[in-house]
Order: sequence, then structure tokens, then C-alpha cells
Amino acid sequence: METLKISVYRRDPATEGEGKYVDYEVPMEEGMVVLDAMKYIEKHIDPSLSLRWNCMAGKCGSCSAEINHRPSLMCKARVDSYKGQKITVSPLAAYPLIKDLVTDVSQNWDLLKRIPKFTPKEGLEKPWKISQVDIERSKEFKKCIECFLCQDVCHVIREHNSGYFGPRHVVKAASLDMHPLDALDRSTFMNKDAGLGYCNITKCCTEVCPEEIHITDNAIIPEKERAVNAQYDPIAMIVRARRKGRGNK
Amino acid sequence: MRAASESPVRHIIPPEFLEPNWRFWSFVFISILGSLLIIMYKVPVYDGLTDPFYTPTVLILPLVVLFRLTCYAYRKDYHRHLFNHPNSCATDVRLDSKSRGYSGETGFFRIENVHRYFMYTAWAILPFFYYDIYHSIVYTGAITVTLGTVILTVNALAVTFYTFSCHSVRHLIGGYRDCVNCPVNQNRKNSLYRFQSRLNGHHEAIAWTSLIMFVFVDLFIRGMVAGIVPNILLIHMGL
Amino acid sequence: MIDMSSQYIKQETDVLIIGAGGAGMRAAIAAFDSGSSVTILSKSLLGKAHTVMAEGGIAASLANVDPQDSWEVHFADTIEEGVYISNYRMAEILAKEAPDRVRELEEYGALFDRTPDGAIMQRAFGAHTYRRLCHVGDRTGLEIIRTLEDQILHRDIKFFDELYVTKLLKDGDRVVGAMGIKLNTGEFYVFSAKSVIISTGGCGRIYKVTSNSWESTGDGLGLAYEAGAELMDMEMIQFHPTGMVFPPGVKGLLVTEGVRGEGGILLNAQGERYMQRYSPKKMELDARDIVARANYAEIMAGRGTVHGGVYLDITHKGADFIKKKLPSMYKQYMDFAGVDITKEKMEVAPTVHYQMGGIRVDPETAATNVPGLFASGEVASGLHGANRLGGNSLADILVFGKRSGDGASAYSKKASPGRIDESVIAKEIDRVNSFLGKEGLNPHELASKLEENMSENVGIIRDEVKLNKALSIILELKESSKKVAVHGSLKYNKGLLQALELPSMLTAAEAIVRGAIERKESRGAHARSDFPKKNPAMRKNIIYVKGEKGMKLEWRDVPPMPDNLKKLVREEEY
Repeated sequence: METLKISVYRRDPATEGEGKYVDYEVPMEEGMVVLDAMKYIEKHIDPSLSLRWNCMAGKCGSCSAEINHRPSLMCKARVDSYKGQKITVSPLAAYPLIKDLVTDVSQNWDLLKRIPKFTPKEGLEKPWKISQVDIERSKEFKKCIECFLCQDVCHVIREHNSGYFGPRHVVKAASLDMHPLDALDRSTFMNKDAGLGYCNITKCCTEVCPEEIHITDNAIIPEKERAVNAQYDPIAMIVRARRKGRGNK
Repeated sequence: MRAASESPVRHIIPPEFLEPNWRFWSFVFISILGSLLIIMYKVPVYDGLTDPFYTPTVLILPLVVLFRLTCYAYRKDYHRHLFNHPNSCATDVRLDSKSRGYSGETGFFRIENVHRYFMYTAWAILPFFYYDIYHSIVYTGAITVTLGTVILTVNALAVTFYTFSCHSVRHLIGGYRDCVNCPVNQNRKNSLYRFQSRLNGHHEAIAWTSLIMFVFVDLFIRGMVAGIVPNILLIHMGL
Repeated sequence: MIDMSSQYIKQETDVLIIGAGGAGMRAAIAAFDSGSSVTILSKSLLGKAHTVMAEGGIAASLANVDPQDSWEVHFADTIEEGVYISNYRMAEILAKEAPDRVRELEEYGALFDRTPDGAIMQRAFGAHTYRRLCHVGDRTGLEIIRTLEDQILHRDIKFFDELYVTKLLKDGDRVVGAMGIKLNTGEFYVFSAKSVIISTGGCGRIYKVTSNSWESTGDGLGLAYEAGAELMDMEMIQFHPTGMVFPPGVKGLLVTEGVRGEGGILLNAQGERYMQRYSPKKMELDARDIVARANYAEIMAGRGTVHGGVYLDITHKGADFIKKKLPSMYKQYMDFAGVDITKEKMEVAPTVHYQMGGIRVDPETAATNVPGLFASGEVASGLHGANRLGGNSLADILVFGKRSGDGASAYSKKASPGRIDESVIAKEIDRVNSFLGKEGLNPHELASKLEENMSENVGIIRDEVKLNKALSIILELKESSKKVAVHGSLKYNKGLLQALELPSMLTAAEAIVRGAIERKESRGAHARSDFPKKNPAMRKNIIYVKGEKGMKLEWRDVPPMPDNLKKLVREEEY
């Protein structure tokens, strides 16, 4: 039977200072993905391998890992797409390690808590009427499955401890900001408190997104442009101040 | 503002400017040299063709340069390839590291935030490119279309598409709005925004096409001046 | 005596919710908003629950697309699809309250697809009289989870994710808390609560070919059963007509009914649109049990595809339409099978999808027969009877999720704090620890045996011989499960988790098989080849309860419908 050689990062931080890569051999199956191989190891070779997975269908975003040093979902990484290359699987390096391939991504909930929640405009007639055209932008961001691959690949989070919330959270803010009936503008918060200015548009987040959300072009840059309106563009600031003034009269 | 405890060191001069980075310093050297050469060795308007670097005058060049330097597409390129912030998304070949200083677009690069003002100046210069096409056609007194005219036209279109597909334009023509049909049934389609968004998706490719065109037209005209490149006559109609 | 406090972390709350899927999260919001302190526990990470896999939509009679629709029609559809053993009151509540829950979800920030005049769009779905399913493309479940997650995070609701509850704690008859192990740290947690809601979802994972996510192992069924709660209708397992068949790694993965709702047709290997033979009127959009059995029959008759499926074809709708209406199906086939569904046919076969049965609850408050214990969502029973309508599960989690939150909150306001016996805690910690550091059977292997047994012997068409065989295997596995052992530590040990899940999986499996043997008729999702007809005498529910000598089964009458509801529903035909 044809077998697949796969190298997996193993470490229990409680007992081991350094991690190591362990090689495994698993039988090949047609259409096999990396997660299938990992599950095989867990079931038949070493049940102590720690592994996080749920739906096996690319819908829940649990099985995030770095495959050949590229952040990927294990359930969607077809083994045959790595023709000839050795497959190496390691945990997300941007997050504290729990064990083997499992990392602690809980800091994301704290960040999500800080982004102001959906706040509908006042005095809307019920039931709400919304055009299909107006839901499209927000809808793209709502495809996010919170796999945090974009966070992991972002050099600002991974290499520079700057306090930047990260791509996932800009997408979240954008999904709320671009809700047609939302009353808030989160761009100032994102720029002042969420470190949006640290993003330098290098688009790795967009490259790794398994849901193919155009994170940089459709979420980050529009949020930056909105922040410019509020904080940097004198004309936009004057226009807004005058509008406000008129509104108050 | 963020709490001091979380804050990394504040940088006035971006730390990447102080690194012994051969890519960055050669880029600076070539840019300075190139600018000097452009100023020192001007090409005359030759055979009715105006070199795009001198439209309308070389003095405006800095504004155009700033428009390009603050462009979202080029930002990706130079942050990646000049500064290695990061040079690659693959984490094993990445040259970025925890030990390096980084200020992103918060310190000096905060200037990126006024990109839209440089974009306005780019719009102001745009008509001159079309005037140059007109000039190349009528300068003999008759109607003359040469290979040079065609090249100028392609260049002008590339610059136009580049300027139009800008992310700041996208924001200003509709991106700032959360709702186009509020209240519902206004039947607004937002077509301009949608069309621009489609172009914007290719902004990086258009940006590079346009930049390469610039240099190509410059070389084409210089080649003509030097007598190496012929300007083929396509149409000639007396008035 | 040893000081136990060093061995576990103690938490106190008014309402404890086990499970953070749609039902659990909606319950948490309801309980919190009615003034109780709330703690929510989840076996997986927050926001990963099986609800995210729900695709088609939420059934609610908003009548935005078909103005003739009303709660009465939705009610009748639900009762008829449930083949008259549903709890009428639950169906009535669902039909009446679903529209409010949908609009409320919209006010929480969910963005549904729209009609041309800006109302919430509704699509057709199997066995719904009118177009009724409110949807967000084909990722409605994900939208629900994200929206509710946002609400939870912005309320002062405590949550512990990756925490597996191993036992409900009782004070006399009353449930007064739960304990479990936090997977990512290996610590034991004890939660003292005035009321507990179980919203742990279904048990689809006891089958090999299933559309269910990893966590659907029937944990809540086991917890409730051990605590003395009555289970009901467990023999009713829904097979979804269309699951993927290839490649093997995703075998069983759901292909949404939305494909058929949007015009997809079923063909056998000979290219025949065979639903004309099975259901000439409703064709592909007939009830799930009928379409699933038709697909199964075609495959069994040798008219299936190479990989053992039938074809589902939507190519005639055009690439633009498909990519817009069914984007994640397009991606799913592209990514996993390398099939472009805008050009090629899909291969599909029936897959285990939903448990209609579960914990018996009171329709008004979602209370179980055990004081202090509530249940909602897939783990609860009564609403769906013998078969579930597509889209009713998402309506169920919102409607009864809220009711369970309100019910538990009201209960906890009157309840006094319970007393938790330290020795019970110590015994449970010992039980969990006892799996470690010894040699024994591999829990994954036992689970695989169970899954294969269920898929082979308790499938879409059942008979006495196979069911008896299945039961004896389950009883053997129950014995074997006592000899399970795992390597490693308490921390993030999936082998240990599998060992802890096994008893619940076996309880669920045993109930399904015992009920299936007991119900000597074919009704809804339960089809017996040896009793192919419905039997009027069995228009009843089967109740399962833990007795001194194992599982006890009892037939119980379906609560009679009042006249005003009776006249909405067609008479049952035999």
C-alpha cells in the first residue's frame, strides 16, 4: 500500500522545553487531506497526539495549523497538492502553545468584546426593510469562520508586539460598520485603540483566508479610509463638523 | 491612545530607515540618481511627442511620486520587498523578526493617510496627458497619427485607469456609505462604485502597467532623439 | 480526608448552560436578560458548534414571498411531517414564535437575504407548503452562531470553552450543578447552579456516515439519562437524502437541501429522474424520509454511481445562479472533490443527519422531569415527532432555546442553592483519572466499532434480525468500555475525551436500537422492512428511562390536540 510520510510538531510545554518534529507514516487514500492523516495517527499510532478539529468540512475553523510553514486548515489541505514535498505540520506560532498542534486562541474573545457591538439606528420602522445590494459588503465578512489563520500569518502580530488587533478583528469591525442599519463608526476606535495603523497592507491575511474574503481590499483599506475621514482629512472633518452643526439647529 | 505598558517604542524615524538594508539603500540611490538624470538630461518635445516625465513640467514630479508612494498597491510592494516587513507569507523564509523595530503606518508613514490629497493632484495633472496626445496629432498643422501617438494614448489610458482605480477614489465615490438604498426601494444600483470596485481589484496590476508604460514612453522618445528608434507614420491627413 | 478543593476549581452561577450551539447561546441570552447570572460551557471552542454547519435556513411563516402562509400552515406541515406523534403544543409554539425569533435575530445584527422590496427572503424547502425558509445564502447556521456569539460576548455572561461535562450533580432529586474537565488545561471544574440547561445537540456521530460534526456524540443524552431524565422518540433518526459520497474523508458531509430547493434534480446512473416514480407530485422536494429512501432504493437496485451514490444535478441553472445562491456548495465540491458543480453532477447518498428524539421536555418551559434540569435544541424531543421538516431545527434552537433560558431563569429565582456532595465529586475525579496510566482497550477502536455497527445494522431500512444483532454488539461494547485505557495526561487528551464520550454514545445507541425493535411499524424516519406499514396502535411515543436493571421502555400516549388545532391538520391516513 502507498504510504504518506508526514512530520508533526510535538511538545507539551508543561514538561518539555523544546519541541521536536516526529515522522509518521500513514496509508494513502484517494482524496486524502492532512487532517485525515492526523486522525489516523491519533487513532492508530499515537493517541496522545493533541489535535483540534470539529466539522472536517472547512466550516468551523478549528483545525488551523501551519502546513509546510503556511497557515492552513488541515481539513482542506489535500495531500496530493503537496506533490513530491515532504509535509510538515506545526501549530499556529502566533499563539501560546497548549500541546502539540493545539494553541490557545482565547485572546481573540477579549478583543472581540472590545469592538463596539451592532447598534441599530434609532427610530427604524419594523420590520426592517433592507435592499439586497446593501447586504453584500457585510455578507462577505460574515463568511469568516474564525480560524485565525489571518492572525497567525500577520507579521504585525507574529513578529511585532504592537497591540494591533489583527485582520480578523478589522473584518469584524468592518462587518458591523458596513451593516446598512448600523449607527456607529468604529474606524476611529480601530485606529486609536486597535492599532489599525500598524497594518502596512502586505496582504498575507488575504492570501491565507480559506473563505477567500478580500480582507485587505474590502475590510482593512475601507476602515483606514474611514479613519482618514475622521482623523486626518481636514476637508472631511470640516464637512462633518458643519453637517453636525446644521443637524443640531 | 493605548496604554503605555502595551505600547512599543514610539518611532519618529521608522526603524527600517536605519537598518543596513542593501535593497532599501540601493533603491534610494537609484531613485536619487534617476531623478537627477531626469532633471539634468531633459528630452525636448520631439516629433510632437512630450515625455510623460515632463507633463506638464518636471517640477510637478514630486507630487506624482508621492501619489505613487502612498498608493495602497505600492505600499504592499515596498514594505515587502524593500523593508522585508514581511518579505514572504511563508513563515520559514520570512526575514522579518521579533528583534526588529516596527512602526507600521503610525510614525513617519502616517503620511500614507493623506493619500487622497496626492490623488487630487494626480487628477489635476491628468488632462495634460490628453493634451499631449492632441499636440502630437496636430503639431505639424495637419492631422498626424504616429506610433508615438498610439503609445502616448496607451500611456494616458493606463494613468487614467490607475488614478481611477485608486482605493481612495473607491472610498469617495461610495465606499464611505453603508447604505445606498436607505430607505429601501430607492432603486439605486451603485453602478459606478461597483464598476470602480471591479477595477480596484486589479489596482496593483494596473499600477505596475502604468509605471512600466511611463518608463517605456520615456525610453521611446529618448531613443528617437538618439536616432535609434523610428516613429512610424500611421495616418496623415492634410487640413 | 483529603482536601478536595485543591483538585478542582469551583464556580457558582444561577443558570448553567451545557452546550454553546444556537440553542445554548440563545438560552444564555434569555436567561441573562431576565436577570439571572449565566455560565455557558462548550466542549469545543466558542463559535464552532455544529450549528455552523446548518445551511438551508430557518422556517418561519413571515409570508414575505408567499402571502398565503401563516403559522397555522406551518403548524400543520410540522405535525404531518412528524407523522402525528409530535407534541402539538411544541409545534404550535414553534409556528407562532419563529417569526419573532427571526426578526429578533435580525435586530441582533444578522443579515438575511432580501426580497426585491427589502423584506427577508424565503426559499422553498422539502415538504413545506409555502416558501418559508429565511436564509443567508447557504450559511445560515454560521450567521446565527456569529450573531449570537456577538451578543454573548457583549453581555456579562461567563463562558468556559473546551470544557467537557462528565456528570450532572444532584441534591436529592434536584439537579444543582455539573462537573467536568477543561480540556486545554486538564483542570477539573465544579459548577454549582440553581438550574441547568442541556443544549448539547444530537448523537449523529454514533454513525459512521453522518453529516454531523465531531461534537455530536449525544453527551447531553447520557448526562440527562444518568440523572434520571426521560428520553423520548429515540428510535427516530433522520437520514438526509443528500450527503457527499466521495472522497472517503468527507463521506457523509451534507449537501444542502437548498440545492433541490433551488431546482436541483436527482438522477440515477442511467440518467432517469426516478423521483417521478416515488413521488410524482412533489418530486425532489418531498419529505426527507421519502427522498432518502428513494435514493437508498436506487442505489440498492444497482442503479447507483461507481462510488455508491446517485446524481444530483443543478448544472441547468447556470454558473452565475449557482455561485450566487449556493456559494459554499460550489466551494465544498471544488475543494474536496475537485468537482465543478456548475458543469458536473454531484454524487450523493443518504447520510445520518438529525435525532428527532431526545430528552422529554415541557413545551412551555423546556423543563425535564428532573427538577432543575432543562433541555433545548436537538437534544430535546417532542417537536419533530417521527420526522423533522427542513429548517425547523434552526427555528427550534431559537424558539426553544429562548424558552429554556426563560424557564431555567424563572426556576432559579425561586430555587435555593443546592448542596453538592464532596464525595460524589471525588468519585467522579477518580473515575476520570482511572482511564490514565494503565493498559487497556483503545477507546477510538470501540467508537469505530459502534459507528460501523450503527451504519450497518440500524440504517435507513431496519429489520428485527439486524436490530437484534446491533443490540448484542452494543451490549458487548458496553462491557468492553469498562476496560478502556488511554495514554498521556489530562491535558488536551482526545483519547481520554473519547473514553469519556463512549458511555453517552452507547446510551444513545442502545436507546435507538431498543426503540427501533419495539416500534413494529414504519412511521416517518423509522422504516422497518418486516413491518412496512403504519400501525394506528403505535401512534404513541416511546419513553426511555434508566431503571434499576438497565434501560426501561414505556409506550405513552401522544397528548391529544385541542379541536381548534385539530381542524388545521389533515386526518392521519393508514
